[in-house]
Amino acid sequence: MKKMLCVAQREFLATVGTKAFIFGILVTPLVIGVLILLIPWMSRQDPPAIAGSVAVIDPTGQVTTGLAAYLEPARIEQRRREAYQRIQDAMPSALRAAGGTSGPGAAAGQQAVGSLLGKVPQLTVVAVEPGADVNAAKASLTAPAAREGGADRLAIVIVHADAVQKQPGAERFGAYDLFVRAKLDDRVIDEIGDGVRDAIVGARVSQAGLDRAQIEGLTTVGRVASKTVTAEGEGRTNEILNQLIPMALMGLLLMSVLMSGQYLLTTTVEEKSNRVVEVLLSAVSPMELMVGKIFGQFAVGLLVLALYLGLGMIALLSFASLGLLDPALILFLLIFYLLAYFSVGAFMAAIGSAVNELREAQGLMTPVMVLIMIPWFLWMPISRDPNSVLAVVLSFVPPISNFVIMLRLASSTPPPLWQTLLSMAVGAAGVYASLWFAARIFRIGLLMYGKPPNFATLVRWARTG
Amino acid sequence: MPDAIVLRGLTKTFGDTVAVRDFDLVVPQGALYGVIGPNGAGKTTTIRMILSILLPDRGELSVLGHRSAMEAKDRIGYLPEERGLYKRMRVGQFLTYMARLKHADGADLRTRIRSWLEKVDLGGVENKRCEELSKGMQQKVQFLAAIIHRPDLLILDEPFSGLDPVNQRLLRELVDDEHRRGATVLFSTHVMALAEQLCDHVVMIHRGDKVLDDEIGAIRARYDPRNLLFEPLDPAADVSALAQIEGVALVRRDGAAWDLTLAPAASPAPVIQRVAAAIAPARVELRRPSLEDVFLNIVSAVSASGDDATLRAAVRDNGNGRREPRP
Repeated sequence: MKKMLCVAQREFLATVGTKAFIFGILVTPLVIGVLILLIPWMSRQDPPAIAGSVAVIDPTGQVTTGLAAYLEPARIEQRRREAYQRIQDAMPSALRAAGGTSGPGAAAGQQAVGSLLGKVPQLTVVAVEPGADVNAAKASLTAPAAREGGADRLAIVIVHADAVQKQPGAERFGAYDLFVRAKLDDRVIDEIGDGVRDAIVGARVSQAGLDRAQIEGLTTVGRVASKTVTAEGEGRTNEILNQLIPMALMGLLLMSVLMSGQYLLTTTVEEKSNRVVEVLLSAVSPMELMVGKIFGQFAVGLLVLALYLGLGMIALLSFASLGLLDPALILFLLIFYLLAYFSVGAFMAAIGSAVNELREAQGLMTPVMVLIMIPWFLWMPISRDPNSVLAVVLSFVPPISNFVIMLRLASSTPPPLWQTLLSMAVGAAGVYASLWFAARIFRIGLLMYGKPPNFATLVRWARTG
Repeated sequence: MPDAIVLRGLTKTFGDTVAVRDFDLVVPQGALYGVIGPNGAGKTTTIRMILSILLPDRGELSVLGHRSAMEAKDRIGYLPEERGLYKRMRVGQFLTYMARLKHADGADLRTRIRSWLEKVDLGGVENKRCEELSKGMQQKVQFLAAIIHRPDLLILDEPFSGLDPVNQRLLRELVDDEHRRGATVLFSTHVMALAEQLCDHVVMIHRGDKVLDDEIGAIRARYDPRNLLFEPLDPAADVSALAQIEGVALVRRDGAAWDLTLAPAASPAPVIQRVAAAIAPARVELRRPSLEDVFLNIVSAVSASGDDATLRAAVRDNGNGRREPRP
């Protein structure tokens, strides 16, 4: 036992102490964290608002005023506030609780919308005589830009003569043409286009003698979010989180298992190709060596798991929504990490012991990798319908059962307790089987040099070992 | 006092190849045994079975009184033929790790490691990474890893291969020290001259079979020398008289000296006297059979197919100790 711990300790320190680990695993998330903080700050450092004029050639004479009103900075700002409110209303309650209606969350939300739409542009609408030379007007779009706060011509709107009133006998109304300066911000182009359409609609409505406010009132039905009815009462359905948290938890599980499994493979191959393994075998039994190595990398994976879980919890905490993560889930995550890691890790150790160099391991790894990736490919159907036959069956097929049941546990409709317990039992049986399989291969493989074995050879070793 | 190693009818096959066949061996405690034989004879397989790294197909063994070396690992030191180090590990760390694996991590471990390193001229490398050392230095570190826990049984598989003469001598002294301390030493080599210099008991393996198991002295006595080596004081002396001396059957040139084969019934002592009387000698001596000769003798007896030159090449490491080339 003491020897096993000694091997495990060396394995852990030798892995965690490498530059690759420190930079890849520890520094990268820190850099990402810093960037997450820095990007909003950097994007607040906006360029100055776009300013300029929009020329309108309006033979109908009824559009220009509407457009000018639509593009007034105060009106633009008001529309944005309303849009933000609509987003707020449409958001699931949990997320909204996370953002909060006041405090840093709300400010951050408003800021996010602000940076998405850019600063409110300062646009002046200039009416141009209908008879004016269109080409000359267009030429003003190619004139060099004036620098600060210039009144450049940004766009020319040509409203068709039949835009407001149909030509006699025509089926459809006319529209408009929009010419813009090169490299004009697309959000400004959209704003102008929306304005022209809004003004034309307004002109048509009043031309037809109708009341626009009344029409809008008649044609608008508010959007509501669905409410989930459960035994505990009614709650807002939060579809996004329903899928995000399970996926994040399963991804974390998969990542730690794969990472520590990969390390286990690498260090085993290294010990074998370094020929240090026979020296070790004079001091420890193959079983002690294998289990010690597996435990060492188990600790590495646990460190990674704890690190990323901690980061995630800090992120949730900063949005005051740590409550979204059920503490029981963390316990389940640890249990299923243990089961998943041991069954996959044992295979990795066995493969590492059987080959002479890392390159040869790839062929043997493929079946294991495909197996592990199955839950990743199936996360969508499983998290959509966590109690489907597919999900239930896969919950009892080790080693993927560990990932699938994790996905289901974190979903909005967790599996019944008996399924969780059965899945754990199946997972434990899987661990036992793969340790048995691996131990027999490990013992033979470690001292076997030369032609790398294929999967059939491994099975034969396991049978005869 | 139980014997350090007892093997009874040990057999190991790999596929169709019989690596070791019905192998018996008793190594008493405190002995210094050499296992010799050409490459591929089965030496490493035998050693691995002694250490329970390989399990025998058949046969029984006992190591330091235990049924398996597993139970006595902490009392055994092993330097494998395929030896390696953790490249990125520091020398001191590696030796500490090995000592801890052998449950020898006393408070004085650090001091012990440092004094051992100094003893093998590696003072100051404690904090170097293993990959920074030369091959010879690495080999010394590997040897230290095998003895750092003061084993009762020291097993060395081809310990001298790849070492220059200076380090060979150093290693020989270290092995001797361990032996004097009371450790039982078993080492294998394909260079018979080394075994001859170092051990007091020799076991020969050829194609998986034990062909010899005896004291060096007894082997020499058994293979009665029938040749004399004669070197005249004056290199230009006329040696034609040698062939006429009574008891000399054949005279052959051997470098600067002459090799005299005794006649079948002749006793060596009077022939030596007669040779010395005939021509003033720089040296005249009985030519003792080397282990190499003994080995070839045995092998040609057990297998008619023995190609003498090939076998000779297999058990001789160029530059590693043969005194003179043979015709």
